[in-house]
Amino acid sequence: MTTRQIHSSSTAPAVRPGSTPPAPPAPAAQPGLERRRWSGRSRKDFLVFLAMALPNLVLIGTFTYWPLINNIYYSTLDWTLGSASATVVGLQNYITFFTSEDAAKVLGTTAVFTLVTVGGSMVLGLLVALALNSKVPGTTFARSAVFAPYVLSGVGVGLVWLFIFDPGYGVLAWILRGLGQQSPQWINDPQLSLVMVIIVYVWKNLGYCAVVYLAGLQSLPRDVMEAAALDGANSVRRFFNVSLPLLSPTTFFLLITTMLSSLQAFDLIRIMTPLGNGTSTLIYEAYLQAFGAYNRAGYSAAISVILFAILLIITVLQLRFVERKVHYS
Amino acid sequence: MRTNLDRRHFLGLAGLGAGAAALAACGGPSTAGTADAVDTATIDFTGVKPAASIDLWTNHPGKSQDVEKAIIEKFHAKFPDIKVNLVTAGANYEEIAQKFQTSQAAKTGLPGLVVLSDVWWFRYFSNGSIIPIDGLVKQLDIKIDDFQKSLVDDYKYDDKQWALPYGRSTPLFYYNKDHFKAAGLPDRAPATWQEFAEWAPKLKATSGAQYAYIYPALAGYAGWTLQNNLWGWGGSWSKDWDITCDSKESVAALQWAQDSIYKDGWAGVSSKEAADDFAAGITSSTISSTGSLLGVLKAATFNVGVGFLPGGPEVPSGVCPTGGAGLGIPSGISKEEQLAAATFLKFMTEPENTAAFSAATGYMPTRLSADMSAVLAATPQIKTAMDQLAATKVQDNARVFLPGADQEMAKAAAKILTQQGDVQATMTELKKTLEGIYTKDVKPKLKA
Repeated sequence: MTTRQIHSSSTAPAVRPGSTPPAPPAPAAQPGLERRRWSGRSRKDFLVFLAMALPNLVLIGTFTYWPLINNIYYSTLDWTLGSASATVVGLQNYITFFTSEDAAKVLGTTAVFTLVTVGGSMVLGLLVALALNSKVPGTTFARSAVFAPYVLSGVGVGLVWLFIFDPGYGVLAWILRGLGQQSPQWINDPQLSLVMVIIVYVWKNLGYCAVVYLAGLQSLPRDVMEAAALDGANSVRRFFNVSLPLLSPTTFFLLITTMLSSLQAFDLIRIMTPLGNGTSTLIYEAYLQAFGAYNRAGYSAAISVILFAILLIITVLQLRFVERKVHYS
Repeated sequence: MRTNLDRRHFLGLAGLGAGAAALAACGGPSTAGTADAVDTATIDFTGVKPAASIDLWTNHPGKSQDVEKAIIEKFHAKFPDIKVNLVTAGANYEEIAQKFQTSQAAKTGLPGLVVLSDVWWFRYFSNGSIIPIDGLVKQLDIKIDDFQKSLVDDYKYDDKQWALPYGRSTPLFYYNKDHFKAAGLPDRAPATWQEFAEWAPKLKATSGAQYAYIYPALAGYAGWTLQNNLWGWGGSWSKDWDITCDSKESVAALQWAQDSIYKDGWAGVSSKEAADDFAAGITSSTISSTGSLLGVLKAATFNVGVGFLPGGPEVPSGVCPTGGAGLGIPSGISKEEQLAAATFLKFMTEPENTAAFSAATGYMPTRLSADMSAVLAATPQIKTAMDQLAATKVQDNARVFLPGADQEMAKAAAKILTQQGDVQATMTELKKTLEGIYTKDVKPKLKA
């Protein structure tokens, strides 16, 4: 370090003309004073904070962070579920996943499922919300009907839709036979299985997007809409140039929540395609590897960690970059 | 946002992470290199008193919940000091396995007795999750010689008996007698698939059903029933530990199956349960487990015929695999519970109880001395299943001993039978997968 550097770092920072001078540095706290302060109001506040936060912290620690840490540890083992012993293999499970042919298949299926379900739910949800926002009779009933599938059990929904799609005696097959057509092999054909699950997932979740968008539409400032109308903007232009930008906080919120939810979708896939043939997303592959026929608990833990990392990256990216494009007022 | 991560904070966080990782390593499996094998030398039940209560984990194979309850009530009357709790541990063998493996990992909540299928028992053995029952067989005087030899031998390995047969089955050929009659066909199952290929167009033309034959659901146990086709053409999934699913015989068998769907157009593939499709009249015939027999007879509104599985062009008979489930005793429970479980196991598999189980489900009686006269008078079709037992063959190692092989076989079958995938390429790919599973998961655990 040069003398000049030592000098500049030891002097007060330069103050530009017109700017507010920085506050003088606070005198160093004396140990006695600090103890007095700690024993006063701060201590009481801290105890209240502990009383309020500790139960939650203990629960989160026990049921979220502790399993997470355990899972990371398990991902370094070659462990057959049910076996009392395992071998430490370091990063081998990760290497195996990323170098296997399955990785591209699973990541591809995850990407297709997530993008189509998020896009489908949001676009259809917005269209439904626009329809429900109009002042026509029956909208109250329609709102309930649209939202109902979202609160239904995924298992029940999956079973009912399986019956609809069954190529042998399903409702869809019956309609197609009436039209002289054979039913596609929705359940056995891996590509069609993915389409089937996506259709059902979008159907189940678009009600959520519709209701959130509807709330957003109803809270849009009327004066802005009226001003746009007075300026001669037609309804399409008002939608794209005024409503949609003003709905960006809603869109941003839905983008995060539906994407996280799609990446964690499990129940419909489990019920409709138990083997995961063509529908094996990251989370379902993790389940199949550990609790399906393979019993590769360590490998499954590695896939779970990969999914966790992807969720974390997506959330951080969304918070950092997408939020900048959002108009909050 | 600026973070003040100074050296002290960094070291603190690193210490916290290392501590957490060290604590995590305290739980879960041992990494000290201990073997999974059960120490059979310590299994001595002399002086042990049976536990007062045990759980029986079952999926009620063949809708057997009522008959299982009845047998347990009889057991309680005879052994009032041992209570058996009937637990529905899953809807199928895989769900039971999932629950059992999870309890094994958690080292808690294990049952006294667990239903284990043909593809799961070996894994439990290799993980050290079940005990050999030879000592208990001797102590409780279980008449092992009175069991159907082929069924009881399925659970032998390393000169030890690891389970006893319970809901044991073979696939059966089910046909709609009314459809066969309308098509002018003989009232019997076809002797070979070639014979059926001649019958199928007539059946399709006259029956009004969607298919003359429906292949069992691939998500079920495609690897099990397709062995019939493979063996008939002289092929197999494997011969001992050599994977042979890509041999020219195996490929020819599956090519024929693909042609029956796409080229000839008389066959289809079930989406959920072939027995249900058959009972609903969607197809004129199918292959399904003997365990579905009573259900089909109850649900069908037409005359049901059953017969042996058809042979193939190379092997005309004896091409039927055994299957179904047995009962095993976990290693992770107390000796008192193991003894109580063995006491119930003996009772459950006694001749009159296996006959009652068979009458209620269609599964085969596992005891030679079981009096089946009343059962056969009520359901004569069970006789076909019993007779076919003499013509059965032990399943291919690849299907029953390789973890996940059944799933891989089902995926390959789906590619061939529902996507018209290239048979040779699909089987070559399957071989690679199965060999990988063998090398990684099975070979290291085999006795030298």
